[in-house]
Amino acid sequence: MARKSKLAHKDSAAEQAESEAVLTRRTLFLGAGGLAMFGVLGARLYDLQVRKAENYIALSENNRFNYNIILPSRGRILDRYSEPLAVNEPNYRVVLIPERSHDVDNVLKHVGEVIELDPKNLKRIHQDIKNNPRFVPITIQDNIDWKAFAALNMRMHDLPGIVPEVAEGRAYPNEGIFAHTLGYIGRAGEKDVADDKDPLLRQPTFRIGKTGVEAAVEKQLRGASGKLKVEVNAVGRIVREWPDPKEAATPGDDVYLTLDAQLQKFSADQFQDDSGGISVMDCMTGELRTLLSMPSFDGNLFVNGLTQADMDRMNSDPKRPQFNKVIGGGYPPASTFKMAVMLAALESGLINPNKPVFCVGKMRLGNRNFHCWKRQGHGAMNMRDGLKHSCDSYFYEISQIIGIDRIADMARRLGLGQTYDIGISGSNSGIVPDGAWKQARLGSGWRMGDTLNASIGQGFVLATPLQLSVMAARLANAQLALEPSLIIGQGIPSFGALDIDPANLAFVREAMHAVCEEPGGTAYRYDSLKLGGIEMAGKTGTGQVRGISASERASGVRRNNVVPWELRDHSIFVGFAPYEKPRFAVATIVEHGGSGAGRAADITRNVLSEALRRDGMGPKPQKEAAAL
Amino acid sequence: MVGLLPIDTTNLSLRAKLYELNWLLPVLIAIIGAVGVAMIFAATDGVWTQGAAQHAIRIGLAGVLLLVIALIDIKVWYTLSYPAYFGALILLIGVEFMGVSVNGSQRWLDLGIMRIQPSEIMKLAIVMALARYYHDLSRWRVSHISGLTGALLLIAVPMVLILHQPDLGTTLLLGATGVAIVFLAGVSWRVIGFASLIMAVGLPIFFRFGLKEYQRDRIWTFLDPSRDPSGASYHITQSKIALGSGGISGKGFMHGTQRQGDYVPENRTDFVFTVIGEEFGLIGSLMTIALYIAVIGLCIYLAMKCKSSFAKLLILGLTTTFTLYIFINLGMVMGLLPVVGVPLPLISYGGTVVMAVMAGFGLILSAHLHRNSELPRSRL
Repeated sequence: MARKSKLAHKDSAAEQAESEAVLTRRTLFLGAGGLAMFGVLGARLYDLQVRKAENYIALSENNRFNYNIILPSRGRILDRYSEPLAVNEPNYRVVLIPERSHDVDNVLKHVGEVIELDPKNLKRIHQDIKNNPRFVPITIQDNIDWKAFAALNMRMHDLPGIVPEVAEGRAYPNEGIFAHTLGYIGRAGEKDVADDKDPLLRQPTFRIGKTGVEAAVEKQLRGASGKLKVEVNAVGRIVREWPDPKEAATPGDDVYLTLDAQLQKFSADQFQDDSGGISVMDCMTGELRTLLSMPSFDGNLFVNGLTQADMDRMNSDPKRPQFNKVIGGGYPPASTFKMAVMLAALESGLINPNKPVFCVGKMRLGNRNFHCWKRQGHGAMNMRDGLKHSCDSYFYEISQIIGIDRIADMARRLGLGQTYDIGISGSNSGIVPDGAWKQARLGSGWRMGDTLNASIGQGFVLATPLQLSVMAARLANAQLALEPSLIIGQGIPSFGALDIDPANLAFVREAMHAVCEEPGGTAYRYDSLKLGGIEMAGKTGTGQVRGISASERASGVRRNNVVPWELRDHSIFVGFAPYEKPRFAVATIVEHGGSGAGRAADITRNVLSEALRRDGMGPKPQKEAAAL
Repeated sequence: MVGLLPIDTTNLSLRAKLYELNWLLPVLIAIIGAVGVAMIFAATDGVWTQGAAQHAIRIGLAGVLLLVIALIDIKVWYTLSYPAYFGALILLIGVEFMGVSVNGSQRWLDLGIMRIQPSEIMKLAIVMALARYYHDLSRWRVSHISGLTGALLLIAVPMVLILHQPDLGTTLLLGATGVAIVFLAGVSWRVIGFASLIMAVGLPIFFRFGLKEYQRDRIWTFLDPSRDPSGASYHITQSKIALGSGGISGKGFMHGTQRQGDYVPENRTDFVFTVIGEEFGLIGSLMTIALYIAVIGLCIYLAMKCKSSFAKLLILGLTTTFTLYIFINLGMVMGLLPVVGVPLPLISYGGTVVMAVMAGFGLILSAHLHRNSELPRSRL
């Protein structure tokens, strides 16, 4: 009942007053709490917007701006007369950004209506899309023509994800004849990126020199990247470009080579389809006017990555177009080595140049016959005639007297058996054999037969066309131990003294002159250079690549034109001109080209003649030098 | 219905009512609404049709609603307190079974002609019901188990339903408002102490079993932002960058770079304050807060002028809800509280919230306009 009465109980006036007082107090309490909370919020705002404002402003700028790298133009590579050998050309291309495209297949179908996309390329595109994050642009087609490029631009709106781009592409204008020397460029590999911290290397479209001059002077050619400040939104889309600070890229420096492009082209024409190499060297400075390996390959193929088909074609070609034979190919120098033997003999003082040797076509040593190339023999020979007629018997004879060590020493002094730093890699040191070499390499002792083989530049002796041109240049210069150079501005070369008796050198040169300009010389040709009496000196060489058996010798050595190409002799020639006042030295090797008096001598004569003409000697040049 | 009620001798004519109305409150509200229009305009890169125009129209329409509610006699609202509450409860249950899902939570009820959010109606109805409850409750029962149980049921049932939608923000808002009214009604400190103890024990249990994965995630992220730099904490980080980079005076209207770059998601709705902070800096932020404080202070003043407990508790309860909206929203935007999806009242874009808040102010004005009304007390 008390409960009920309490239920029915109405709050007394005092209780009501108490209620109101409590309400007022507690309202004030909550109000104060609310104000305190607003105080906290205000303090937080002060903290964010005043105390840490600078920090947040920086963060906001970071959010907002990206720096895009601007790629520098790669420096050009030019010949000595500023004729371009490697240049940059606009490269119109289309790329696809997969994430902007809802239906890649459909977009590719539409692109295929404008430019041809063969199934192989499509396969590659799909592979690239799969292998890369969705935002990475995938190249659809490089080097498209302007018409197709314009057509694609017109259709941009219904090709989501397709971006037409104009980039700079490397181009090599001279049909590949400089390919071995220039090398090629390509994407930076993992190792390149690890060795070189330049952020340019991480740019997907950036290319660095991989081989040859492109790699040798990469630092000069590369230039420095520029920066472009762009404003981006939350998803990385560029909202606008900022003019400031815009740092233009610093283009790479042009690099000049010592080469004479026109002469190199002329030389390449001389080779036609033959395989081999030619090196033309300035007899006073060592500068290379021509450094050619034939056949060559199109360096443009490498710019955007070599296709498997191109790679297969090159690798299966027996003429090995990708191989830089002129600096990397070791060939038996054959009779061109005889100058070294001759000089060694003269310098030794053991041999009188008038020493007679009677050639009967062969020489017996122990139980082996050493043949002279002239089966019926040369008859009585002295040293000069020995070289003029390239009589093997004469050199067999004198080499036995002077020994291999003197010959090897002279060969090295003339520039064989060593590599030269011309900037590019791939040089072969060749072989100048002696007792120590044979012991180390083959573990057997030196035999007299080895000396006899070496005396005619066969056996273990190997040299590159470049080395042979150095030898010819040193013989011609007579004073300095010239070394070849390829890139202009790599420092002024200072050569050591050759330190060979000038009289002996003159004797050898005179004999070389007889080879070319005297009737009966192995390379005699009336008015050889056709430059109004300018004469040359030189030496033929016929490098044997097969053993000739006694039975074949008995039945008659097969002529070169009846044996398979790869078993034919190498045709070799070294020489210089003018004989009286040497200007250029040349070494030519035509692989499996037969006798040295044939292809190699012809090529050398023509190239020497052209080189002199281009240098202002003789009558008018055959080809006007475009840049001159 | 009105006829059934005791005649109020202080009944005024419409003209007198319009004269008596506290016009300062609608003016402050209109100013805040205008700030909202400007900020939505900026947030949408100056496109009127992407929210700014709609917001202006909604503020205008809701202003009419506010006036209508304000002019209706407090006795009507007094009488409708419980029916409104139970009606809202029925709608909440309706949402449970026939609701429309938006963003993975079922908050909306499609009535054919319009979609309504019953939880917004409940925010008003619960204040009305609790004000009515304590208006009627005898003084001695306020801290008694019987009185507490009634209040607890009134608060807890809608909370459970809204949490289930799930809508953590509104649930907490509702709970806090309810607790505030219980506090204002004069519950003893002993009970408050006891309740706090229960909360301390219950909260971790609730956290573990009462929350969805994403809700837990938000709280964890709030406690340790490095957990998820690009997900939920990205939002807070970018929000702080926007505010902080505004500095003292801001980057200028329409010149916020965080806003232009779309770095702060939802800057038209829940994160609209980042636009104010970035473009108007500390000065603009504090002025906005000052406007809110003025509204809140005015409401408390209006409450104190009222005679009946119902009117006082109604005004204070609604003011509490309004204040809590602001605290939670600003705390969230400034990185002091987890991201819980509570809009900034009158400034954030969003129709239902504007309507609910304006209706609440209508009730406040009605309570003040009829402050001298004698409201009958049932005996509870």
